[in-house]
Amino acid sequence: MKIVVCYKLVPSAESLTVKSGRQLDFGSAEWEIGPYDLNAVEAAARLKEASADNSLIALTFGGDIIENSKLRKGILSRGPQELVAVKAADAGQADGYRTAAILAEAIRKIGDVDLVLFGEGSGDMYAQQTGVLVGALLGWTTVNAVNSIREADGLLEVGRNLEDSVELLELSLPAAVSVSSDICVPRLASMKDILAAGKKPFAVWSAEEVCVQAENKTVVDSVLAPEQAERACIVKPADDEAHIEAVVNQLRNFI
Amino acid sequence: MIDFSLTEEQELLLEQVEEFMKRGNYDEYFKECDRERKFPEKACKDFVEAGFHCLDYPQEHGGEEVDLVTIVLMKMKFFELGWPVLTLPGGNLEIDNILTYGTKEQQDTIIGLAKSGIKPYTLGFTEPQAGSDNSAMTTRATHKDGKVYINGHKTFNTFATVSPYMMCIAREYENLENPYKDMSWYLVPLNAPGVKISVLDKVGCHCMPTCEVYLDNVEVEESALVGTRGKGFYQLMKNFETERLFTCISNVGMAQCAYNDAVAYAGTRVQFNKTIGEFQIIQEKITDMKIKCDNMVNMLLKCAWKKQRGESISVDASLLKRYTGKAAFEVIDDAMQIMGGIGYTNDCRIARLWRDQRGARIYAGTEEVMVHSSARSLIKEALKAAAK
Repeated sequence: MKIVVCYKLVPSAESLTVKSGRQLDFGSAEWEIGPYDLNAVEAAARLKEASADNSLIALTFGGDIIENSKLRKGILSRGPQELVAVKAADAGQADGYRTAAILAEAIRKIGDVDLVLFGEGSGDMYAQQTGVLVGALLGWTTVNAVNSIREADGLLEVGRNLEDSVELLELSLPAAVSVSSDICVPRLASMKDILAAGKKPFAVWSAEEVCVQAENKTVVDSVLAPEQAERACIVKPADDEAHIEAVVNQLRNFI
Repeated sequence: MIDFSLTEEQELLLEQVEEFMKRGNYDEYFKECDRERKFPEKACKDFVEAGFHCLDYPQEHGGEEVDLVTIVLMKMKFFELGWPVLTLPGGNLEIDNILTYGTKEQQDTIIGLAKSGIKPYTLGFTEPQAGSDNSAMTTRATHKDGKVYINGHKTFNTFATVSPYMMCIAREYENLENPYKDMSWYLVPLNAPGVKISVLDKVGCHCMPTCEVYLDNVEVEESALVGTRGKGFYQLMKNFETERLFTCISNVGMAQCAYNDAVAYAGTRVQFNKTIGEFQIIQEKITDMKIKCDNMVNMLLKCAWKKQRGESISVDASLLKRYTGKAAFEVIDDAMQIMGGIGYTNDCRIARLWRDQRGARIYAGTEEVMVHSSARSLIKEALKAAAK
């Protein structure tokens, strides 16, 4: 089984600062692999390791940051055998559709892919669209919110936690699967993996050579930090039971 | 050219350490181990499962041989994030000794233990009347019918209750005039008949059991000899410089831990309507603490770098031990002062660091012995340079 796992490099939430007018300042942001994508990478690495016939390629789309060698080693130390990065100067402005169109074409260009895995959402916008859009654009079996995954006789057995039940599905391949973040805990890379990562093959493709026609389908007016609200302090902290009652009453009012 | 930057690989490894410590959320557990005088077994098990101990042993034994500077950086990071003193699984010192002096069989045994995260042996050289003066030791090895019988009383044996062996230094009493040419190393199983162990009640370092070990006619095979018979003292000197380097990692890491906690506190603790960090008297402490931390890190890494290059660190390791033992204690003491009353409660980890670091000024060679082991060489070097 030839597996591709997609990930996005995002500015780490802790390093973002909010400027006046609720504008976000990315200037001094540190970049990291999207935290939800790490769950997909781990799920993909476990699938790859389950059979010697399986292979795993990591795929990303981004701006100049994709050339960062430390982030490249970071992803390659977590299981993928090689990396394909699609680069566009304006990748930061790409919406879900354009991102998905470019990734879908990159997957076609990689060729003979049986399964593509995604995290539940990106670490920055968390729109949860890319996985399902890629699946639709490729015309593949497409499932999201998957929290267990297993290869069985050329099919893929996946589980999804629904509100009051667990849904077990058998998927035919090729498939596009988005996993939830509770599927598995990402591994810690060993020094051996980290040292080996620098020697693994990687390719950088330009967005133009992958996909000519992929325009944004949405327009972003603004991205703002949430408004800060002062705490209302309707009930003051205390140890007595009357205080608990007051909290319950307030909650009832809100409901 | 001097390059102070870390490699990307080193940065990635340190990020894994941070992630490991964040996931483990060990602060409460370490507090409990300190309070109940327990070896942090659970955290050590996680450490071994994550494979961090594999950096300690060579590739031919299935390890991940990396350079010593990287190992030091990794261990320092664990201590900076609050890992209790000297309790990291594995054992650079034990492995370094056995690879230098041990037979193939001994190497397999010791490295085999280190691979499962077990402290392979406690070092047994200190005796009640032989502290800094190793030549005063009286533990005796008697050879009879192809066996060796060990009799003596060792003390301040770190980890004797959790290690399967003692690297026991004993007198042969073959060279009565010169004790320095009369010592040998024997690998003694601590479950052998005649071994009795009792735990010492210390001020700090509670996660690391320190013991007295009584050896009453303990029988071992002649093959338990490690290195050369009668050369034990010289082997010990070599051991000491490595031991000093490795114990200093926790000095530096613990000082940084206290520094980070105290500076963050100074930036948020409000008194007299401003943060205490706005008072110059606190700023002065922070500045001096930072200078000491940077000096310690630089000195430690330079010493590791020299050993990695195969250069002698006998003087460097002594200077490092003398400087970092005291400077780290001063940093932690200032951190406690910045934290005020909170810092003096056992709920705050600075209290543990303060108790533990006081011990580091004594164990693995006192600060006073470090003067003895470095100054004479420094004068000799100066005279040699002047004669040129």
